[in-house]
Amino acid sequence: MKLSLNWIKEYVNIPDSIDLSQLAYDLTMSTVEVEGVHDLAKGFDKMVVGVVASVLPHPNADRLKICKTDTGDGSIHDIVCGGINLCPGMKVAVALPGAKVRWHGEGELVEIGCAKVRGVESFGMICASSEIGLFDLFPFTEQATILDLSAFDAGAGTPLAGALGLEDVILEIDNKSITNRPDLWGHYGVAREISALYDLPLAEFTPFAPPAESGFTVEVEDTQRCPRYIGVKIEGLSVKPSPFEMQSRIWRVGMRPINGIVDVTNYVMLATGQPTHAFDADNIAGHITVRRAGDSEKLLLLNDKELLLSSDDLVIADDECAVGLAGVMGGAKDSVLPETSKIILEIANFEAISIRRTASRYETRTEAATRYEKAIDPERCSLALSLVMKAFPELYPEIKVTGYCDKYPVHLKPSEIDVSLDWLEKRLGKRIPDEDIGGKLERLGFNVDFNGDNMHVVAPTWRSTGDISIKADIMEEVARMHGYENFEPTPITTSFDCAINQVEMDLERKIKEHLAFRCGMKEVFTYPWMSDEYVNAIIQNTEGMLSLSTPPAPDEKRIRSSLLPNLCKAVSGNLRYFNEFAIFEAAQVLRDEGYEALYDVREPLPLQRRHVAGAFAGSTEDVTLLFRKAKGGLESMPRYTHMAPLAFQQIEKPEWADSVVWLNICLSEGRVGNLALLSKKAALDCGIKNSAVMLFELDIDSLAPYPSRSNEFAHLPDYPMADYDISLLFDSPIKWESILDVVLGTKEQGELLRQASFVDEYRGKQVPEGKKSVTIRLVIGSLSKTLTSSEIESCANAVVKRLQKQLGAELRR
Amino acid sequence: MKEKLNALRLEVEGMIAAAKNEVDLQKVKTSILGKQGSLTDVLKELPRLDASIRSEIGREANRLKNRFSELIESRREEIKLKASEIPPDFDCTVPGIAPPSGSLHPITQMCYDLNDTFRSLGFEVFQEPDITSELYGFDNLNFPPDHPARESMDTYWLEGHDSGSGGDRLCLRPHLTGASVRYIQTHKPPYRFVYPGRVYRNETTDARHERAFFQYEALIVQQDFTFSAGKVMIKSILSKVFGRDVPVRMRAGFFPFVEPGFEIDMGCLVCGGKGCSVCKHVGWIEIMPGGTPHPNVLRAAGLDPDEFTGFYVNIGLDRLVMMRYGVDDVRLFHSADLRFLSQFC
Repeated sequence: MKLSLNWIKEYVNIPDSIDLSQLAYDLTMSTVEVEGVHDLAKGFDKMVVGVVASVLPHPNADRLKICKTDTGDGSIHDIVCGGINLCPGMKVAVALPGAKVRWHGEGELVEIGCAKVRGVESFGMICASSEIGLFDLFPFTEQATILDLSAFDAGAGTPLAGALGLEDVILEIDNKSITNRPDLWGHYGVAREISALYDLPLAEFTPFAPPAESGFTVEVEDTQRCPRYIGVKIEGLSVKPSPFEMQSRIWRVGMRPINGIVDVTNYVMLATGQPTHAFDADNIAGHITVRRAGDSEKLLLLNDKELLLSSDDLVIADDECAVGLAGVMGGAKDSVLPETSKIILEIANFEAISIRRTASRYETRTEAATRYEKAIDPERCSLALSLVMKAFPELYPEIKVTGYCDKYPVHLKPSEIDVSLDWLEKRLGKRIPDEDIGGKLERLGFNVDFNGDNMHVVAPTWRSTGDISIKADIMEEVARMHGYENFEPTPITTSFDCAINQVEMDLERKIKEHLAFRCGMKEVFTYPWMSDEYVNAIIQNTEGMLSLSTPPAPDEKRIRSSLLPNLCKAVSGNLRYFNEFAIFEAAQVLRDEGYEALYDVREPLPLQRRHVAGAFAGSTEDVTLLFRKAKGGLESMPRYTHMAPLAFQQIEKPEWADSVVWLNICLSEGRVGNLALLSKKAALDCGIKNSAVMLFELDIDSLAPYPSRSNEFAHLPDYPMADYDISLLFDSPIKWESILDVVLGTKEQGELLRQASFVDEYRGKQVPEGKKSVTIRLVIGSLSKTLTSSEIESCANAVVKRLQKQLGAELRR
Repeated sequence: MKEKLNALRLEVEGMIAAAKNEVDLQKVKTSILGKQGSLTDVLKELPRLDASIRSEIGREANRLKNRFSELIESRREEIKLKASEIPPDFDCTVPGIAPPSGSLHPITQMCYDLNDTFRSLGFEVFQEPDITSELYGFDNLNFPPDHPARESMDTYWLEGHDSGSGGDRLCLRPHLTGASVRYIQTHKPPYRFVYPGRVYRNETTDARHERAFFQYEALIVQQDFTFSAGKVMIKSILSKVFGRDVPVRMRAGFFPFVEPGFEIDMGCLVCGGKGCSVCKHVGWIEIMPGGTPHPNVLRAAGLDPDEFTGFYVNIGLDRLVMMRYGVDDVRLFHSADLRFLSQFC
C-alpha cells in the first residue's frame, strides 16, 4: 500500500525535527513495515515549466517545430518538438538537459542532452505526459499531444514538481504487515499511529449530522453479513473531473483518477480505509435490497466479467436483479455513466469472511474487498460519511440530499479488558509509568482507567473486530509504543537437573553421519509425494497409500510409503551427469493404516515411520563391488550408531529386486528392511539403462539404540599373530557363509586359528568352468609362545583339509 | 706465507661447507687442487721460497691438501645422505587423493549446527509426524476458523481426510508450530526444546518459494519469562551459527499464535548494515518471526497462561542456508542434484 506523506500531514502535523528515515524506521519498528520511501519530486529533477513564445517551422522536417521557449533562466531557448497541440503562450513541461525521460512513454529512462535534432540544436525537450510518468494524471488520446500546463498558476522556470504540487514523499507499506490491522488501510489510521508515536495531536473529522431517514429505504435481509448499510441519495451531480489536488492525491498513491463522483468515493476509501460505492440512481429499479444471491443468478460486473453466482454470495440488488457484488465490485448496470446526475451512495459494512470467500471465488480482488476482508468496524461508516458529505458539496455546490437511511441494528461493542499492572511489569521485565502507558493508549483511541493495580481498558471500535481482545494484546500495544529497542536484554537463567540425553533422537543423526562420512554417500532431499511413473516402477501397487486432494501435479498425488521411488528418480536424474555415485535420504514414510491417537483422542493419525534409504549406482560390470559397498555400509552401521547388529537373510524378495541379488535386513524382532539390486525391468521403468543400482531401505523406528557403547576391550596379544592366505577352488554355487562355517566351525582342540576373513573370489580364465577360486585370510597365533613357520603351516593345512573333505575344495595350482 | 695459508684454509673450509651438491664440490676441488688451483699455486711457489721456511711451509701445505681432501670427502657423504632417492622431476602440484566424499545435505548441516548450539543451552530436540490435523495445525494455534491458510489453496489436505474438521481433517503439516503443543502435552514444565522439520505449502514455486521447505522452531515456556530475554537467545544462536557477532532487532509483527508477535531482523552480513541489494538497501534482513506464545496456544497445551509464558522463534532454515552460502534458488534444495550437493562436502 502506498501512502502520501502530505496527505498524512493533513491529519497529523509531523514536525521537521523528525526526518523521513527516522519516521520510516519508527513506523517499521512499532507499527508497519515501511518497505520504501520515495521522493516524488526526484522523478522530475531538471524539469521546469516553460512558456512557449513562438512556434516556428523546422527547416528540415515537416512534423517538427522549433519552439522559442522561456524556461525562466533569462533567455529564450530553441526546443525542437513534434507536438500537435503547440501554440504560442502555452505552458509546457520542459525537460532540461540532464533530466531523465521515457521517449514516447516507452522503454528505459533516458537522460536528455543538448543535441541537434535534424540539424537544429534543441535545448532539452517539451514533454508529453507519458514521457514523464504522468499519463494517468494527464491522459490523452491523440499521439504526440504535449502536456498543456496553461491552467496551472506557475511561471516559466518553476520546477515542475512544485508547479504540479508533486513535492511529496510516498511511503510504501508491506501489506503483509497490516493484515491484522483493518484500521491501517487508510491515511487516517496511519496518521493516528504517528500521533501516538510522537505524542502529536490528531485532526478530527466534523461528524455529518444525518438528516431524518426519508426519501428512500434499503432493505437488509442478512444482517449478519451486512451489519450496517448507509444509503444516501444525492441529486444535482454531473460527471466532470474532480479538482486537480484530489486527482493528484489518488494518482500519487497508485490509483487512477476517473471522474468527480468515482474519485470522491476512492478518495474517502484511501483516507479512512472505508470503501464506498456510488450507484446511478436512474438505473436502480425500485429500492435497494442487500440479499443472498440465488443459485446461478447472473451478474455482469463493472469490468464486463459475467458471474454465475452462488447462494453463498451477498449481492446488492434492485427490484429486478443483482446490481453489485457486495463489498467486492459494482455491476455494469448501475455504474456511473457520463450522463449520471443522481446517485445512491453506499457506505456499508460487510462481514469479512464472506467477502473473502466471494472475492477469491471469482478471483476479483479489488481495493474494496482487500479492505473488507480485514474486518472493518461498522462505526467507520460514520467517519466515511462525514468525509464524503464534505467532499461532494465542495465539488458540486448545487447538490441535494434527497434520501437517507442508516440500517445499523446491532451496534459493535468495544472490547473491554482488565490488566494487572504487576502482571504487565513481570512480562515486560520493566515498570513503565502509568502516565506513559495511559498517554500512548489514549492517543491510539483507547480509554484507560487506572485503579490500584488494575488498568481498565476500553479499546476503540476500530480495534475491536478481533485485533484487541485479551490482556496480551494490551501488553503488545504498551510494549511497541514504548519501543522494543528500549527494553534492555535480560539474561536467560536456568537450572540443570541433568544433561540432555536423547539416544532415540541421536540414532537418526548417527546413521546419517555414518552413511555420509564413512560410506561416502551424499544426502539428498526429495518431496514426500511421488511421480506415478516411479510408483509403478518400484512399488507397483498403490493400495494403502495416502494421496493429496490438491496435488502439485496430477501424476504426483501419492504420498510416499517408501523412499525408493523418489530415490530412483534422483538416481535417474544424476546418471545424466555422473556414472558412479552413492546417495541416501532419511525421511518419514506414511501409510493409510495403523491409525492411532498418539497425542489427542480426537486426532487419530496414520502410521508414520522414519526410514533411511540409499542407492549405489555404477557400471553393470561392478555389481559385486556395489553390492559389497552397500552391504558393508549396513554391516558396519550398528557399531558406529550403537545399536544391535543387523542380520541378512533371504525371506521374501521385494517386488523391485533382482531375482538373485537381494537380501532382507533383519533384527531379532523381524524384518526391518531390504538390500537388493534394482531389477532390470524396474530400472528400465525408471529410465535407467546400462547402469546397476544397488538399493537399501531401513526402518529407523525399528532399530533399538543402545544407551551407550557396548563392546568390550580385548587384551593385546603378547606373541605375534600371523596372516596366512589360502586360495582354494570350490564349486561355484558354494556360499561364503558355508565356507566360513567350515573354516571356523569345526576347529580342532587346541587349534591356533584365531580369525578367518574373506579376501576375494574369482571366476574366469584360470579357473575351470563351474568353479570359483576363493582366497581366505587366516590369522594364526598362540597366546603363550611365538609360533614356528611349520606350526603355522600345519594349522593352515588343517583348515585346507577340512575344506577339501567337507566342501570338496581343491587347492589352486 | 703462513698467513696466506691460514686465510686459504678458512676460505676453503667455508666453500666446502657451502657446497650443496657434487657439482659444487668438484668446482671447489678444482679451484684448490687443480692445475690452476690456489693450493697448487702455493706448492709451485715452494722452490722459490727461502730455505729456512720452505720445509715448514711445505709440510703445512701438504697437511692442508690432505685436510681439504678429507673435508670434501666427508661433505660428499653428507650430501649423499641428505639427497632424495626420488627423481627430481617428481610433480608436487598433482592433486591429492580425495577420501570418500560423502556429505550431509547443507540444510541438515545447518540444522545440526543449531541442534548442537541449543543443546548446549539445555534444549531438547523434538520431532513430530509429517502428517498433522486441523486440530494441531490450526485450531490449537489460535488460527481463526476462516483463516485462508486452512483452505486447500494453501495447505495440502489428504484425500479422503479433507472434509471433516479438527482432528479428523488431515494434512501435510503447514508449519511446525503445532508440534509445540504435542511436546508440552507429553512432557513436564518448564520447557526448552527445538523442533526442526520440513513443512509443506500448496503454492507456485520459483527461486524464492518452495512447496516443501525447512523450518526450525525453538520454544521456552516457563514462569515469568520476559520477551527481552528472547532477544538474548536469538543473538547467541545467530552469532554461533555465523561465527561472529550479529546485530538483532525485534519489531512489530503479527502471527496468530503469538502475542506480542515480532518480526526479527538480523544485520545484513553482506554489507555490514550499510545497505546493499541483498538487504534491499535497509541494512537488515528479515530472518524469523517470534514472540510470546498466545494464551490460547498455552491453554490448548493444557497450561495456565496466567502462570506460564515464554518465547518462541521460527527460523527459516532454507533462508539461513541460502545466506550462509549465497544460494540464489531455493528449489535446488530438493533437486537431489549432485552437482549442487557436491559443493557442500
